[in-house]
Amino acid sequence: MTGMKKSALRKGLTTAGALALMTSLAHGDDAAKQFQMDFLDGKASWEDVKKRAAEEGKINFYYWGGSDTINVWVDSVVIPALAAEGVTLNPVRITGTKDAVDLVLAEKNAGKGVGEGSVDAIWLNGENFYTLSQQDALFGSFAQKVPNSGNFDWNEDDPRSLLNLRDFGVVTNSQEIPWSGQQYVCAVNRQYVDAADTPSTFEEMKAYLEKNPGKFTYVKPPHYIGNTFVQSVVYAFNPDGNGAIPFQKSIDELGAEELARLIKPGMEYLRSIEPMLLGADGGKARYPEDIAALDGLFLNGEIYFDCKFGLYAVHTGLQTGTYPEQAEAFIFPKGLMIANKNYLAIPVNSPNPASALVFANYMASVESQASKLEKAGMPVGIDIWKLTAEQAAMVEKAAPKHYGVTQEELDANVAPDTNASLVDVIEATWLEYIERGSSASIEEIVAKSAKEIAQ
Amino acid sequence: MNVTTMTAEQRNVKPKRTVEQRKARLLLIAELSPVVIVLFVLFGGALVLAVLQSLGFAPWFGVNTFPDFSYFGALWGSSAFWVSLWLTLYYGFVSTIIALIMAIVLSLALIKPFRGKTLYKYLYKLPLMIPYTVGIALVVLMLGNGGIMSRLLAFVGMIDNPGEFPQILKTHYGWGIIAVYVWKQVPFMTLAIYAVLLGIGRETEEAAAILGANRRQIFFSVTLPQILPGIVSSTLICFAFNVGAFEAPFILGGGYPDTLPVVAWRYFNDANYAFQLQGMATVVSIGIVSGVILFGYLATYRRYERMRGRA
Amino acid sequence: MASRKVTNTFNRLSPFQRFYLIAVAALIVGPFAPLIVQSLAFRWAWPNLLPSVWWLEQREKSPIPLAWDYVLSPYSRIYEATINTMAIGLAVTVICLAICLPAARVLARESFKGKNGFEFFLSLPLIVPEAAIGIALLMIFINLGLAGSYVGIIIAHLIPTIPYMVRMLTAVYQGLGREFEEQAMILGANRWQILRMVTLPMLMPGVVAGALFTFLVSSNIFLLTFFLGQGKIITLPTLLFSKISGGTLDASAAGITLIVSLPGIILLVISERFIKEEAFGKGFGN
Repeated sequence: MTGMKKSALRKGLTTAGALALMTSLAHGDDAAKQFQMDFLDGKASWEDVKKRAAEEGKINFYYWGGSDTINVWVDSVVIPALAAEGVTLNPVRITGTKDAVDLVLAEKNAGKGVGEGSVDAIWLNGENFYTLSQQDALFGSFAQKVPNSGNFDWNEDDPRSLLNLRDFGVVTNSQEIPWSGQQYVCAVNRQYVDAADTPSTFEEMKAYLEKNPGKFTYVKPPHYIGNTFVQSVVYAFNPDGNGAIPFQKSIDELGAEELARLIKPGMEYLRSIEPMLLGADGGKARYPEDIAALDGLFLNGEIYFDCKFGLYAVHTGLQTGTYPEQAEAFIFPKGLMIANKNYLAIPVNSPNPASALVFANYMASVESQASKLEKAGMPVGIDIWKLTAEQAAMVEKAAPKHYGVTQEELDANVAPDTNASLVDVIEATWLEYIERGSSASIEEIVAKSAKEIAQ
Repeated sequence: MNVTTMTAEQRNVKPKRTVEQRKARLLLIAELSPVVIVLFVLFGGALVLAVLQSLGFAPWFGVNTFPDFSYFGALWGSSAFWVSLWLTLYYGFVSTIIALIMAIVLSLALIKPFRGKTLYKYLYKLPLMIPYTVGIALVVLMLGNGGIMSRLLAFVGMIDNPGEFPQILKTHYGWGIIAVYVWKQVPFMTLAIYAVLLGIGRETEEAAAILGANRRQIFFSVTLPQILPGIVSSTLICFAFNVGAFEAPFILGGGYPDTLPVVAWRYFNDANYAFQLQGMATVVSIGIVSGVILFGYLATYRRYERMRGRA
Repeated sequence: MASRKVTNTFNRLSPFQRFYLIAVAALIVGPFAPLIVQSLAFRWAWPNLLPSVWWLEQREKSPIPLAWDYVLSPYSRIYEATINTMAIGLAVTVICLAICLPAARVLARESFKGKNGFEFFLSLPLIVPEAAIGIALLMIFINLGLAGSYVGIIIAHLIPTIPYMVRMLTAVYQGLGREFEEQAMILGANRWQILRMVTLPMLMPGVVAGALFTFLVSSNIFLLTFFLGQGKIITLPTLLFSKISGGTLDASAAGITLIVSLPGIILLVISERFIKEEAFGKGFGN
C-alpha cells in the first residue's frame, strides 16, 4: 500500500512537474517577457499578436458573475467570437472582483512573474485597478495599441476623454481599456410612490422616510454599489457646496484633515437616516450585501427605491421579472448621479497575453459593444462621436428603452466618481462610523484609516 | 494491493519468531502510514502553519517576527472579537441543543412500529444528503421578510406589510442560522441515536416499566444513559461544525460583528495583506476555543462513564 | 394486564409522537413545495401566494433564457458543477477507501502502543472547525501550485472524509470476526486467497456503505472547495452559494437549488438498500 501510495504520489508529482515544464516551454518566462516588450514598444504587429494568440489558444477572463444576462451574453456571444480567432475563452465567474485581484497579487507575491500567473483579463474599475497599478501588477499600456482603440477618444484636451484616461481619478496610462459606461440610477416602485412624493434630493428622501420609515436602504459598503451611494451623499453635503470637485484629488493632495472636514456632514446625514432605514424599527438597520438582495427587497415592496449602477436596470429588471411591474427610473440625487466607466485590464503575469489583447480588442469593437448593449443591457464604453454615422446608428438601435426618464435628463445630472485613493478611506469611515457606530469623531476615524491604508 | 500480497508471502516463509514479529510490525506501520501521512502532513501541517502564521511567521509576505503575540493581542484586545466569539458559540450551542432534543424525540418515535415507517425512514434523512447551501436557500425562501411565512401571515390578514413580519434572517439572534443547522442536523443526530437504540434493544426499558417506573424515570435513568454514546459523538461533530461553518452566518447573519469564521474570511479578503496574519490569529482562536470546549465535554463524558463503571 | 400495557407503550406511537412525526416530516419536506413554485415563477412578489406571472407565460417573449431555460442551459454552469462534484466525489471515495481499508484492519484487529491516542488523532478532523484548516491549507497549496486545481481539492476533501471512513470500516472489521479467515487458512488457502475470497466479500457491505457516505460528505463540502477552488473549480454547493450569497432566491436560483438537491435524493434512494442504520451507528456509537 505504501508502495502504491508512494508511486502514485511520485507519478502525481512528475505529472505536475511535466505540466509546469510544458507550460514554461510553451510560453516561457522569457518568451512572454519578450512578447510583452515587443508589443509595448510597438515592434510586434497586430498580425504577430493574432498569430501568438492562436498559439496560446486560450484566455481566462475573470469577471463578476452575479448577473444572468451578462453571463448569457458572455457565453453566447463572446465565446463564439473568440473561437473564430482560434482562442478558447474560459470565463471565470467570481462573486467579487477583489477575488481576482487577490489571486493576481498572491501569485505575483509567490514569485509568479510575466507569463506565469493564471488570470488573463479582469473586468474592473476604481480601487481594484488602483490596487493593481500600485502593486505594479499590470501588463502595460496596451489600450491605445489595439486596432479598435480608435473607438475611444484619447485626446487629453477634450474633456470628453476624461473617463478613458482616468479611472476614479487615477490615471490609467492605457493599462486598461474602457468596456462599459455606467450611471448610478435609482428606480422607484410606482405602486407605492407617486410622482409628487418622489424625492429628488437627499433632504427630500429624509423627509419621505420620516413619513414612511423603513422603505429605503442602500447596499452595504465596501460593496462598490454602496460605496457609490455614500460618495453621492458626501458630494451633496460637501460644506463648500462644490460637490464632487474636491474629491477628484488624491488623499496625498487633499490630506486626511481636509477630507474629514469635507465628508463630515455627509456621514452625519447617513447616521441620521439610519433609524429610518429598512429594518431599523426592529433594532438594527439592514443593508443588503449585494445587488440581488437589493432587487429582492425592491420586488417584494420591502423598499420602494432601488439605487444601483444601471442605466438600463429597469429594462433588464422587467425583462427578467426581478423588478416589480410598476418600476421606473427617476432622477436622484439631482445633479449628482455618479457616472463612470468600467474597464478590462490585463495583469502583468497573464499566461496568455496575446489572447488577452485579442480579447480586449474584440470587446472594444462596435459589434460587440452594440450586442452587449442590446442583449445584456450594458451601456457602451466606446465613444459615440468617434464612430461613423453607420456605427452610431447601430449602437442607437441596440439601446434598450428608458422607463420614467429620458437620456437627456440622465445626461444632465451626471457627476464624476471619487478619486480611488479616497474611496478606501471613505469606505473605512463608513464601516467605523455607521456600521460599528463608533463614538470616535469623523476626524479621528479618517485620520486613523488614512494612516492604516497608507501603510 | 500487490504490496500486501508480497508481504503476506514473505510472512509465509516463517523464519524466527522475532523476525515474524518485526515483519508484522512493519506491516502494521505500512498499513497505517497512508492515513497517517495524509492527516499528519495536511491536517497537522495546516494546523501548525496556522499557529505559526498567527504568531508572525509569514516570510512569503515578507513578515517574520516570530514569535510575536501582537496579532492575538490586537484581536483579543478588541471588544468586537468577544462579541463575535459569543455569537459563534451561541449559534453553535443553541442549534446543537435544539437539534439534539428534536432528534431524541424523533428517534424514540422511530423505534416503534408504525405504518409507512419504511417511507418515513427515507424521508427524514433527506437533509442529511444535501448540502447546507440548500438549507440556506430554503430558509431564505421560507423565513425572509418577503418569504412564504410572511406571505401566509399577510394572507390571513395578520400583517399588511413585509416590514411587519418579525425579522428572522440577518439579525444577531440568528434564528435563520439556527434553523439551517437544526434542519440539517436533526437527521444526522437521529441516525446516530436511533442506531444506538436499535443496538441496545428495549428489554431493559420494558423491565423498568414492569418494575413500575414511570415514563420519565425510564427515559432519564434507563434510555438516556444507553444512548449517551450516540448523543456525545453526534453532538461533538455538529457543534464543531457549527462553530467553524461559514456559509450560513455569512448569508443569514446579522452583519458586524460577524461570527469568527466570517471575521477570518473578511480579514483574508482584505487587500491589506497585513490583515492575513490577523485572520490567522482569528482562525487559531476558533480552534483553541472549540478545542477547549470539546475536550472539556469529552473529559466530562469519560468521567461519567468511569463513574458508571463502563469505560 | 400490566405486561400488556407495557407492551403497548413500547409498541404504539403516542398521539404526541404521531403529531411529532408528521410535523418533522412537514418541516423537512414542506419547504420544497414553494421552492418548486419559485423555480417556475417569472415574477413572484410579496404578498402573492402564487406567482403573478409564470415563467411559461414569458418564455416566448423573453430574449434571454429564464428560470429552467437558464438553469438547464450551459450558461448556468450546472453541468460543469455536477460533473465536477461527481468526479471529485468519486476520486475522493476511491482514494479514501484505498488508504482507509488497511488502517481499519489494524485498528480493528491489532493492538499497539498509543492506539487510543492514534484513534483520537484520527477523529480530530471531525472536531476541528473547517475554517481553522481551510485557510492555512490555501497558503500551503498556493505555494505548492495546488490551489485552484482538482488535485488540491481532492486532497483537501480527504481530511474530513477519512475519519468517517476509518470509523465505519473499523466497525465492519470488528464485526467480522476471525473465524472464517482462520477456517480458510486451515483449509489451506494462502493469505491472498483469504483476502480475495473471504475477507473482501464479507467486508463488501461495509465498504459500500463507507463509500456512499464518503461520496456524500465530499459532495456536500462547501468551505474547503470554496477556499481552495478559488472560483476556478465550481461544484454544486459553491455554485449555489454564489447564486444565493446575497440572501435572495430568484427563479434560476430556485432551479439550481433543486438540481443541487438531486444527487442527494438519488443517493438516499440507493443508500437505504446498502446503509443499515446498525452499521452506520457502529461508526458513531463511540
